[in-house]
Amino acid sequence: MGVNGMNNNNVEVMEKEVKQYIVVMIGNEQYGIDIRYVDNIVRMQQITRVPKVQSYFKGIISLRGEIVPVMSIRRKMDLPDDEYTNASRIIILKLEEKGAIGVIVDEVKEVVNLSEDQIDRNTNRGRFINGVGKHGEELISLLEISATVEEPV
Amino acid sequence: MDVSQYLEIFIDETSEHLQNLSDCIMELERDPEHMDTINEIFRAAHSLKGMAGTMGFKRMQHLTHDMENVFQEVRSDKLKVTSSMIDLLFKCLDAIEGYLNNIKESSDEGTEDNELIIRELNNLIAAANGEQPEEVETPAASEESSVGEKKYFEIALSESEKDKLREAEKNGHHVYGMTVYIQKDCLLKAARAFLVFKAVEELGQILVYNPSSQDIEDEKFDFDFSFFVSSEASFEKVSGAAKAVSEIECVVGEEVPYEVLAVKQEKAEVEAAAAAAAVTAETTKAQEQTQAPKAQPAAAANNNNNARKQTVSKPVTNRTVRVDIEKLDALMNQVSELIIAKNSLVSISGAESGDFQSQSFHEQIEGLERITTSLHESVMKVRMVPIESVVNKFPRMIRDLSRKLNKKMELYMSGEDTELDRTVVDQIGDPLQHLLRNSADHGLEDNAVRLEKGKPEVGSIFLKAFQEGNNVIIQVGDDGAGIDVEAVRQKAVERGVITQEQSETMSKKDIVNLLFIPSFSMAKKVTDISGRGVGLDVVKSNIEALGGDVEVKTELGEGTTFTVRLPLTLAIVQALMVVIGDEKYAIPIGSIANIEDIPVEDIKYVEAKEVIHLRGKVIPIVRLTEVLDIEKTQEEPESLTVVIVQKGESQAGLVVDRLMGQQEIVIKSLGKYMNNNKIISGATILGDGEVALILDVNVLM
Repeated sequence: MGVNGMNNNNVEVMEKEVKQYIVVMIGNEQYGIDIRYVDNIVRMQQITRVPKVQSYFKGIISLRGEIVPVMSIRRKMDLPDDEYTNASRIIILKLEEKGAIGVIVDEVKEVVNLSEDQIDRNTNRGRFINGVGKHGEELISLLEISATVEEPV
Repeated sequence: MDVSQYLEIFIDETSEHLQNLSDCIMELERDPEHMDTINEIFRAAHSLKGMAGTMGFKRMQHLTHDMENVFQEVRSDKLKVTSSMIDLLFKCLDAIEGYLNNIKESSDEGTEDNELIIRELNNLIAAANGEQPEEVETPAASEESSVGEKKYFEIALSESEKDKLREAEKNGHHVYGMTVYIQKDCLLKAARAFLVFKAVEELGQILVYNPSSQDIEDEKFDFDFSFFVSSEASFEKVSGAAKAVSEIECVVGEEVPYEVLAVKQEKAEVEAAAAAAAVTAETTKAQEQTQAPKAQPAAAANNNNNARKQTVSKPVTNRTVRVDIEKLDALMNQVSELIIAKNSLVSISGAESGDFQSQSFHEQIEGLERITTSLHESVMKVRMVPIESVVNKFPRMIRDLSRKLNKKMELYMSGEDTELDRTVVDQIGDPLQHLLRNSADHGLEDNAVRLEKGKPEVGSIFLKAFQEGNNVIIQVGDDGAGIDVEAVRQKAVERGVITQEQSETMSKKDIVNLLFIPSFSMAKKVTDISGRGVGLDVVKSNIEALGGDVEVKTELGEGTTFTVRLPLTLAIVQALMVVIGDEKYAIPIGSIANIEDIPVEDIKYVEAKEVIHLRGKVIPIVRLTEVLDIEKTQEEPESLTVVIVQKGESQAGLVVDRLMGQQEIVIKSLGKYMNNNKIISGATILGDGEVALILDVNVLM
């Protein structure tokens, strides 16, 4: 990763390296999703179950005439199953290779700017997390998007 | 002159001319005296030459030029068409197709000169003019004679390469030109070449490769390669190092002072220019003869069109426009959107029992339905192309197979004008080719065996295409030996694919279907006995990927027929909407036979599986609630609603809770994330925005 290289020798560029993250709640933890991957955020809607697929898929929804699969991060992280509330949202992520996919979150809180020096890359938090951002007093676990949506190996 | 913008037209038209030539040459083989055919071949070769010249494809031009010359002689009755000549002409076509494929991939014709073919063509011409052929030769002999040529003088050097050579000489190194010939039976040419380079580079530096080092690595060369090397060592030492590598036939070379090389290069260039000029002159002359307009590069498209109009003897069909398939896809998507919007209007008009429900509102809705349906049909039709473009290469293929296998056979085709969606047509070629090969190779008996059995000596292979409802059927068959079902049964048991007990209860049809199982068809021994099986699993999966299926029917001693069933369209279908539990599913109408109400007590059990008896047929029952893991919302009713679906001759009864009616649905993919086990072939968006899944009934049977 280029990020490590920057840590060593280029402080100025590093300070400019500010990324925007959407902060969401899953359970009682805050997670950050790199805004570059976010295509859309939609309210909870009826999800059509698809039989015989990976258990972490809730089903599919229709979004502007396209079919988008929706997965449960909770199921993938072995957390208690989702409970839909008024605050529940589906974050539509768009990945180059495989197209759009929806991820259910309990709540969308805000958008924060994090520069690389506010991110602790060293704590080992499991395979879905690639760092922990410090925003004021809050800690935000930053999701590694590709690991989150890909098939567990 | 930038002609790249004409490249696509060139590729299309060259393909057309090649097909035309192939057809004509086949025709000529049957009737060697037919003047019209001969004229047509002459014209097609001539057009090809003109086009290739315009586009700057010199090698292709050269080859077609000589082909044309041969036909000039045939036309003037100096030369008779012989079967060896036909073979040679087919070789020419293959060579031109090789060029064309290179051009498609890299916009360049490649470096294959096809000298051998050209020499044979010239010998024909020489013979026609009463001269002795330059060399009386078989292909092998001519290859033999080329060993030992100093091919390094043929390398066309670029300026930078010349500079390198000059530089090396200035620095006091010797520059050697070398051509290395590898033994013809060598299997790892690239490896040998690599070893030669390694040995030589220990003594000096290789400055110029021919072919390029990349091509050599990829084994894109015949049995020789040339290079220039700069070295301080003596020539004997360098060539000795190269010779020391095993499987090297011989190494020729010498020290080449730059002066000598420069002269040679210049001479080669002059010669090339002269040859090109001669060809141009010839082109012009020939074109005047046929009264075609002189080829202007910028008017290439136009010119080729004219040429084609003269060439193709078939009546000129409708005026056409070439359209990028992506534009059609976009149009199709918009029509899909329109249909979804229309469906939602229909569902509103049905649901609202309100005041604004006037007569005219209903009428408008109905009008809209008619328009969207016919719009959909029109767009569909635009995407349809005849399967001709795929199947018309088959007669040639069968002819070649017939020669290769030494079996007499004839291909009968019908329904070439049957139309299919472009995307399907593009992908159906390989599976069909496979089935035809199968018929020719394994299906048909040897001629002697056929005579013994009292069959006509010449085997027949047929390919029939026709439309049946919403499907297109393509049958490929033969009147050969048929599949020995018992042998397949035995082998299947031996190989543990099925148990002895299973084998006893399995029908003949089920046994034959075992040939489509991948692991099974891999078994070489089965293939030898049954005469079938290699790669049939691939055929099946290719066809299923297109939403179709394949069946086989066979009669021992009488032949085998494969029936390929393909959907007319991929994007929009009529479907029956059903409710199971509280979920909605769509079943494509094309696969539904009928719908029955079956009293529960009519359900019988065969091998612990539910079946029903319907009009003399035993039909297995599929409980969709179980297959699809749906929670049951209602008690088992007294009578079941059963949708009977069919694939070819097999049927299954799908139990549903309720029928919703027929609807036009737009098929959407589920995307790449979900690993579906094929039961669901896609999803569709209903009028009210709800999503319903589409069942693939083929998987349920």
